[in-house]
Amino acid sequence: MATTVLTEIEDAPAAPDETVPTRRSRAARSAPMLTFLARRILSSLFVLLGATFIVFMLFSYSVDPLEDLRFSTAPNVQQLIAERVAALNLDVPPVVRYFQWLGNVVTGDLGTSWRTGQSVSSILGAAIPNTVTLVSGALVLAIGLGVLVGIVAALRQYTRFDYAVTFLSFVLFSLPSFWVAVLLKLWGAIGFNDFLRDPTIAWYWIVGLSVLSGGLWSAIIGGVRRTRWVSFAAATVATGAILAFVSETDWIVQPSLGYVGIAVLGAGVAFAVVALTAGLSNRRALYASLTAAAVGVALKLPLQFLFVNASWVMMLGLAVAAVACGCLIGWLFGGDDRRVSMRAAAVTALGTGLFLFVDRVMQVWYAYNRASQINFRPISTIGSQTPGLRGDFWITTLDQFTHILLPTITLVLISFAGYTRYTRASMLEVMNQDYIRTARSKGLSERVVTVRHAFRNALIPLATIVPLDVAAMFGGAIITERIFAWSGMGSVFITALQNMDADVIMGHFLVVGSLLVVASILVDFIYAALDPRIRVNA
Amino acid sequence: MKIRRIAAAVAAATAGAIVLSACSTPDVAGVAGSETQSVTVGWNQPMFSQNNLTASGNATANANILYLTNPNFYYYDGDLNLQFNDGLGSIKAVSQDPLTVEVTVNEGVVWSDGTPVDAADIILWWGAQNPKFNTVAGGDLERDADGNEVVPTDAVWFSGTSPIMELVSQFPEISEDGRTVTMVFDETRPDWMMGLGMPPVAAHAVADIALGKPDAAEAKDALIAAFHDNDKATLAKIAGVWNTGFNFTSMPDDPRLFLSTGPYILNEFVENQHLTLVRNEKFSWGPIPAIDEVTFRFTEDPMASITALQNGEVDLIAPQSSVDVLQNLANINGVTYVTDIEGTWEHVDLTFNNGGPFDPATYGGNAEAARLVRQAFLMSIPRQQIIDTLIHPLQSDAAIRNSFLFVPGAPGYDEAVAANGSDIFGGGDADKAKELLGQARALYPAMPQTIDVRFLYGASNVRRANMFQLIQAAAAPVGFNVIDNGDDMWGQRLGDGTYDATMFGWQSTNTFLLNAESNYVTDGQNNFGGFSNAEVDALWAKIAESADDTTAEVRGFAHEIESTLLHEGFGLPIFQFPGVVAHSDRLQNVSSIALSPTILWNFWEWTIAG
Repeated sequence: MATTVLTEIEDAPAAPDETVPTRRSRAARSAPMLTFLARRILSSLFVLLGATFIVFMLFSYSVDPLEDLRFSTAPNVQQLIAERVAALNLDVPPVVRYFQWLGNVVTGDLGTSWRTGQSVSSILGAAIPNTVTLVSGALVLAIGLGVLVGIVAALRQYTRFDYAVTFLSFVLFSLPSFWVAVLLKLWGAIGFNDFLRDPTIAWYWIVGLSVLSGGLWSAIIGGVRRTRWVSFAAATVATGAILAFVSETDWIVQPSLGYVGIAVLGAGVAFAVVALTAGLSNRRALYASLTAAAVGVALKLPLQFLFVNASWVMMLGLAVAAVACGCLIGWLFGGDDRRVSMRAAAVTALGTGLFLFVDRVMQVWYAYNRASQINFRPISTIGSQTPGLRGDFWITTLDQFTHILLPTITLVLISFAGYTRYTRASMLEVMNQDYIRTARSKGLSERVVTVRHAFRNALIPLATIVPLDVAAMFGGAIITERIFAWSGMGSVFITALQNMDADVIMGHFLVVGSLLVVASILVDFIYAALDPRIRVNA
Repeated sequence: MKIRRIAAAVAAATAGAIVLSACSTPDVAGVAGSETQSVTVGWNQPMFSQNNLTASGNATANANILYLTNPNFYYYDGDLNLQFNDGLGSIKAVSQDPLTVEVTVNEGVVWSDGTPVDAADIILWWGAQNPKFNTVAGGDLERDADGNEVVPTDAVWFSGTSPIMELVSQFPEISEDGRTVTMVFDETRPDWMMGLGMPPVAAHAVADIALGKPDAAEAKDALIAAFHDNDKATLAKIAGVWNTGFNFTSMPDDPRLFLSTGPYILNEFVENQHLTLVRNEKFSWGPIPAIDEVTFRFTEDPMASITALQNGEVDLIAPQSSVDVLQNLANINGVTYVTDIEGTWEHVDLTFNNGGPFDPATYGGNAEAARLVRQAFLMSIPRQQIIDTLIHPLQSDAAIRNSFLFVPGAPGYDEAVAANGSDIFGGGDADKAKELLGQARALYPAMPQTIDVRFLYGASNVRRANMFQLIQAAAAPVGFNVIDNGDDMWGQRLGDGTYDATMFGWQSTNTFLLNAESNYVTDGQNNFGGFSNAEVDALWAKIAESADDTTAEVRGFAHEIESTLLHEGFGLPIFQFPGVVAHSDRLQNVSSIALSPTILWNFWEWTIAG
């Protein structure tokens, strides 16, 4: 949701008028920019070259590829050693080998793994999509949650919520990922799967969790004492009711959202989106969004027929259709600011569509659990799919979800803390600036001040961190991948290191190194584009 | 006005939809149901080649899968006795002088595509591993800058040669029915049987891929002819396919790449994730397993495989043993685990030729003094203490290994221990060691009061570092100053004379005595300490000449070698590496052996409870 808010730029009063510079001045400005770009790329190439050289040397001097043959009792071991020395060019110094490797890379050949005979490009080609699947979801979630919690913590500075978030983020920041992963496996997978055998929640758990949730919500909502007690009571009762419902019915064995669930959740999205982007006083936007949610509920039945032969392409098409439908609804409602209504309705339509999707996945939950390969232990601890499980789109989607769940949570828990701290700090800084005081004093509502004036500027520092994180993401999450037996870039790296496979290590490093260099160049440009005070100078 | 109309329309539509929901929605598709009995095995490395006879394909990761899909004529049973797959065929020696061996494939044995297994496959085994067909040596090949062999198109080069097949220089005779191959050996070797077997890739598949001959009989004839006539151009193509054509890391499209002769055949292979074997419906020449499907899942982390076992994702694992691993396993319900020995054994070796404390040259050429010093040092090694403190927590019935040549538990081990005089070393005896050192000092009075011993070991290996501490502490009161020479690059330093004593592990791959010859024979490949003893060399020569190394006579030679090694203070075996095998209680009849394929050896006896 944070990202959709970010795209709203057309009516921001704070944005400087960009139409003033003429064509000539723009052309004049681009010349130093090109010089800057060329200089950055050139210097980055040298950095990359130096880095690969250092890595190659460190690697070559620290491993002994003949180790296994030295203790081999094979009668033809002398011949095997000679073959391997020749194959790996071990008779020439590492410096020469580095330049041989470099020469091949320049001609487009990344080499092969001498252990398995597989080409490095095919190893990387298989590993990169796996890593991207694993890490991209975690990254988006971590950024989304981190920003949200950071903003709320900044707005509720020095409250119990703020202290709690600070405490929690430092705890998470310092947690080692292997430990988090093992605990998650014990509780999230084995514990949950055991719980599924008899899915009833003890009353003291219900009470405890309800009170906890009540405290959390009252702290977030804040306000005067009365408001806080009301929100505490409401959240406690709601959580208790949900938990009791789950415990007393078979919902967790055969879950579904149903018409009621989708209607309630859709309406919730509608209210939240409108409250943030237009303000609840904008009745047209609110009605347009609610209509979009209602249309989603109405479409639940016909969609079931469409969902029988589902695919990701179809899902993407439906998402586009939902956005279009939302825009149409917003446009039909008309008014002076149609675009505000259209946007709110489109987001609501997308959200409702997501719930329809979740509802359909929930419908296969029981069939999935019953499969002999799953045997009512759905949450898995290793791999990215269940071997031998053959089912339609929904089954395989659910299977992917049960496999990616724990590694994603591990990654989110660890990286989310950092984003929270960054966002909180930068939001506090922005909120204390003069233009915010000016905005308040000219009578803008607190919503407009926060969402439109403060929030966007608070995100600028993040824009410099995220590209580097994305680039680093391609390096894989070494520990998490290993513990969850996920065959991505991290496990490629660690396996190659164990196998003393120079070409694979260098291929991995080349991908990660180049992406980091590109990302750091990108960051400079993003910063210059976002912050008018900064100019790219040659 | 407009809003109201739209709202009304939506309300009507919603109400309509809810009414309609009373109608039936399409059925939710379930999982393609199967009542198959499947077992999942956790393993640490994925398979990468169907051909495990090439230099690079020769890895446990491949051999384990092939054990289920492409069985050999023989295997090791639970007591490490060699057993024969009589249903598949036979290997028998029909003459001893010269050694002549008949390899027969039984009638009715077919590859999974229906083509009979016959002489062509045995000829492929022989020819592809016989270096005489290579026109270039592996080491001499031109390489591209990237290290891959550039084989000229007319040059023949088969990767991975066998020193046993090299002894069969004449083209083997093929019987009338085309199912028996008779090989005449130029020289005899007691382990000749290890060099014979069934190739994991089919001759007709190799010939078809290399030469484009889809007809199986025609392809086989072409392959036999190529080896018979030593047709370089054809062999070059065959060698190319043999070397790299059968490498795959995910499910290959071409079924010729994974033809099976065993009870299972490859069915699904997702790169780095898992590999599923299903029944080979054609298989009838051996015990039919009770399990319909065997899946291998690949996890490197031992703890991850334990939680996967606990969560029911895998049924059988053999993780690298550690105290943590055992503690975790002990705390899981519904899981059985057994600690036992593995194929690797730890030993201490001394250096004879570096002018150090164990070299007679140091004592003015007084060989007896040097021998007594060596024995004194070995005597001081606290073997029992090492077992008690480091190995016992991992294996409750751990014991000292007392033989250089026989694997504990394998036939002949107990007799060897009784005969080789290892009992004098016991678990380490400081008093006796001091006494021996005193005798040595009497022979060579110029000996220093404390003798410096530079001790090399893998520094990052925690167990070896601990062992070093124990050895150092125990040797000090005897009069040895053991110097810590721990080094992570210890492997490269072996044999360079910069250390006086070292410890590392040897891995046994079979039970044949000749397996270890190069460790102890003069100038042997793996004889790093410069040990040289004419008696031992002569005994090895006798063993090498015999056709069967399990006879009492040949074992007697081995016992003599061992007593000489111990008497001369060559070194000392310490223990067999401890291992652990864990399986869920639903899987029964699991057993493990110290040699490859460890936990898989009796897969046909596995059953699922309930």
